[in-house]
Amino acid sequence: MKKLLQNFYKWIDDRLQVKGLVDYMGKKYVPVHRHTIWYYFGGVSLFFFIIQVITGILLLFYYKGSSDLAFESVKFIMSKVQFGWLVRSIHGWAANLFILSIFIHMFSVYFEKAYRYPRELTWLTGVLMFFMALGFGFSGYLLPWNELSFFATRVGSDIFGVIPIIGEPLKEFIRGGSDVTGATLSRLFGFHVALFPGIFTILLGLHLILIQRQGISEPLHYKNEKEIKNKKKMPFFPNFMLRDLLLWLIVLNLLAILAVYFPAELGHKADPFSSAPAGIKPEWYFLFMFQSLKYLPPHIFIVDGEVVGILLFGIAGLLWLLVPFWDRKSPKGERNRLINYLGIFAVMFIIILTILGWLS
Amino acid sequence: MKKFIVAFLFISGSITFVLAQTKDECYNCHSELGGQPAELFKNDVHFQNGLSCADCHGGNNKTDDMDAGMSKEAGFKGVPKGNDISEVCAKCHTSSEKMKSFGAKIPTNQFELLKTSVHGKLSINGKDRIVQCITCHGAHGIVKVTDPRSPVYPLNIPRTCSNCHSNSVFMRNYNPGLPIDQYEKYRTSVHGILNGKGDPKPAQCVSCHGSHGILETSNLNSSVYAVNIPKTCSNCHSNKEYMKKYNIPTDQYEKYSKSVHGIALLQKNDTGAPACNSCHGNHAATPPGISSISKVCGTCHALNAELFSSSPHKEVFDKNKYPECETCHSNHLIITATDKLLGVSKDAVCSRCHTPEKNPEGYKVAKKMKSLIDSLENAQKYANSLIDNAEQKGMEVEDEKFELRDAHQALLEAKTAVHSFNEKKFDDIVVGKGLAVTSKVAKEAQASIDDYYFRRKGLAVALTITILLALGLYMFIKRLEKKQNKE
Repeated sequence: MKKLLQNFYKWIDDRLQVKGLVDYMGKKYVPVHRHTIWYYFGGVSLFFFIIQVITGILLLFYYKGSSDLAFESVKFIMSKVQFGWLVRSIHGWAANLFILSIFIHMFSVYFEKAYRYPRELTWLTGVLMFFMALGFGFSGYLLPWNELSFFATRVGSDIFGVIPIIGEPLKEFIRGGSDVTGATLSRLFGFHVALFPGIFTILLGLHLILIQRQGISEPLHYKNEKEIKNKKKMPFFPNFMLRDLLLWLIVLNLLAILAVYFPAELGHKADPFSSAPAGIKPEWYFLFMFQSLKYLPPHIFIVDGEVVGILLFGIAGLLWLLVPFWDRKSPKGERNRLINYLGIFAVMFIIILTILGWLS
Repeated sequence: MKKFIVAFLFISGSITFVLAQTKDECYNCHSELGGQPAELFKNDVHFQNGLSCADCHGGNNKTDDMDAGMSKEAGFKGVPKGNDISEVCAKCHTSSEKMKSFGAKIPTNQFELLKTSVHGKLSINGKDRIVQCITCHGAHGIVKVTDPRSPVYPLNIPRTCSNCHSNSVFMRNYNPGLPIDQYEKYRTSVHGILNGKGDPKPAQCVSCHGSHGILETSNLNSSVYAVNIPKTCSNCHSNKEYMKKYNIPTDQYEKYSKSVHGIALLQKNDTGAPACNSCHGNHAATPPGISSISKVCGTCHALNAELFSSSPHKEVFDKNKYPECETCHSNHLIITATDKLLGVSKDAVCSRCHTPEKNPEGYKVAKKMKSLIDSLENAQKYANSLIDNAEQKGMEVEDEKFELRDAHQALLEAKTAVHSFNEKKFDDIVVGKGLAVTSKVAKEAQASIDDYYFRRKGLAVALTITILLALGLYMFIKRLEKKQNKE
C-alpha cells in the first residue's frame, strides 16, 4: 500500500514537480502559544466555503431562479429530491456558521494585530471577503422566495436607500426596480451564484497565496521572547493541516446534527400584496446594525437619524478595513491599547445589540 | 233617553252641515258651477271634517265675490303643483295637535317617511318627488283607508300600486330593470286570489313593503331585504289569531329560524341563503307542488335535484305523492344533512321505507352506501393523522395535504351522489376517487414519517464513521508528533 502511494506520488511529481511545493510547505511553521486555537478558524471558514460551493452546485441542479418557480423548486428539493432536504439544510446552516467563523477569525486576527506589516494586503482581502460573505447571506436569503425572505429583503434594501446621494440609485440597482419583485430575485440569484463566487474566489486565492508567502503571523509577545528555545512551533505540513482536518471532521459532525435536528424551514410563498408579518427581522448577522438604527432618534440635529447611523456604520467599516494603515504602534512591536479597547467595544456592541435585536 | 240623544245628535249634525254649506263660498260657487272636484269633495273626509277648498288652495271662502275670494291678496294659490301638493297635506298631517283637533288618531310621520322612501326620490323633472300624497290617495274624493272606496283600501291597493308599477313606459324612467309583472303574478298567488275574492286580510303590496316609508329591496332597513323577509312574512303567518280562518300551521317561522337555511340567513347574515320567497315565490307566493319540490330546491341544489330526477326514487315518489326532497329533509325545519340520514340505523331516513322485509334490495344499497361513506371518512381521518404526525416531525408534507383535498372533494361528491341512489355511481366516487387518494396520501405521509426515522439512523451511522475517522486522525497526529519529538 505504502509502495503504491509512493509510486503514485512519484507519478504526479514527475509531471507536476510538486516536491518543491511540499518541501516548501514542510518548512513552514505555525507558532504554538496560548492563542494558537484561533489560527484554526481561517481553515474552518475555508471548509465552510468549500461546503457552500458543493451544496450550492447541488442545489443549482434543481433550483429555478424566477418568482413563479423559486418557491416551488425549493419545495421540490425539500420534499422530492433524494437528500435534497439535507443539502439545503447544510447549505443554510453552513452559511450561518461560515459568517460566524469569519467573524471569529477576523476578530482574532485583529486582537493578535496579525494585520500589521507586512500583512496589510492579507487583512484587506480578508475584510473584503467578510463583506462579500455578508453579501452572500443577503442575496441567498431571498432565493427561497418565501414570505420571511421577501419582507426581510424589502426592509434590508430599504436601508440602502437611506445612504445620501447614492442610496436611491443603489437601492434600485439591488432591487432591479423600485420594489422587491421577480427582477430582484433574478438579480440577487445572479449575484449569489456567479458574481460573488467569482470575486470571492479571486480574493480567497490572493488571501491564501499571501498566507503561504508570508507565513503565519507570530504574536507580538512571541517576537520578544529572548530565548529561541521558548518559541514553540509546529510544521504547517503535515501537523497543522492534519489538525485542521480533524477540526473539519468535528465541524462536519456539528453541521450534520444541526441539519438533521433543525432542518431549514420554507414557510409560505411570498405574496407581494400581503402585509408584512409582524416582527420582521433580518438575519442575525445584520441584526446589530438593524437594532442600532431602531434606537436612533428620528433626527440628530438637522440630519435624519437613520442617515447618521448608516454613515457611522460606513465610517466604522472603512476604519476597520484600513486598520493596518492607522495602527502605527503594532508594526513597531509596541502594545496598542486603543486597538484593544476599540475591538472589545466592537465585540460587545455587536453581541449586545444582536441579543437586544433577537429579543425585541 | 236614548232616542232623545240620537235625535239631538242628528239635529246638531245637520245644523253644522247646513251652516258649513252656507259658510264655504268656494264650495257653494263651485257646486253651482258643477264639475268633478266639487262633486268628489262632497264625500271627502276632509270636507266632512269641516275643511274648505281654501285650506288647500288658499283664498277667502267667506266672500261670495269670486275676484276677491280668489285674489292674491286673499292668499289664493290655485292648484298646487309637484311637491307643493304634499306640502299642503303635510301642513295638517305632520301636526299631532291639528290632527287631534279633528279627532283623528292617525300617525303624523307619513310625510317624513315619504321623503326618505324610494318614492321620495327626485322625479325625472329634477325638482319634485316621484310620488305625492294624491298619487295613491287621490285628491278631492279622499276617504278613510278603511273605506272600501279608498284606493288604498286593502282590496284596492294592488290596483293602485299597479297604476305605476305595471306601466312599463313610466317604470322605465326610474328603474328599467324592475319587473312590471308584480300585479299579474300577485293575482295568481294565494294572497292575490283571496284578495280578489274580497278578503282584505291576505297580504297585498303594503303588507310586505310598507306604505309611506317604502325602501328599495337592497336597503338593509327594508322589510323585504333578504334578512328581514322571514320576519315580515311571520307578521301574519305566525299570528295564530289572524291565520285561524285559513287553517294552516303558524310555526313556519319558528321552524325556519332553527333550520340550516334560517341559521345561515338570520344568524350569519348570509343573504345567499334562502328566505321564504326563495321557495314560495314573492309576488306569486304559493306552496310548491309535490312534484315540483325538487325543482324548487334544485334552483340552489342543482346537482342533487338532477340526480334525484333521474333516480328510481322519482317515479316511486310521484306515484305515492311523496313530496320529493321534503320526504327526507323536511320543509321549514331543514337541518344540516349529516351522514346519520343515510343507512339503515334508527336515525336514518332510508330505513323509514327500506326494511329487510319490505324492500331488501334498497335496504342493502342503503347499508352499503353508509358503510362506504364511513370508510372514506375514516380513511381521510387516518391520512390526516399521518400528515399531522409527519408535520409535527418537521417533514415537508404540503403536497400530501393538497392531495388530500381531493379526498374531501370525493366525500362531498359522494354525499351528493347519494341522491342518485345508484350503487355503481356511488362506488366509483367513493372507492375510485376518494379511497384511492386517501390510500396514496397515507402511503406518502407514512413514507415521510419513515424518512424522519431514517434520517436519524443515517445521522447515527454518519456520525459514527466521522467520529471514528476523527479518532483515527487524532491518534495519527499524536503518533506523528511523538515520532517528530523523538527525532
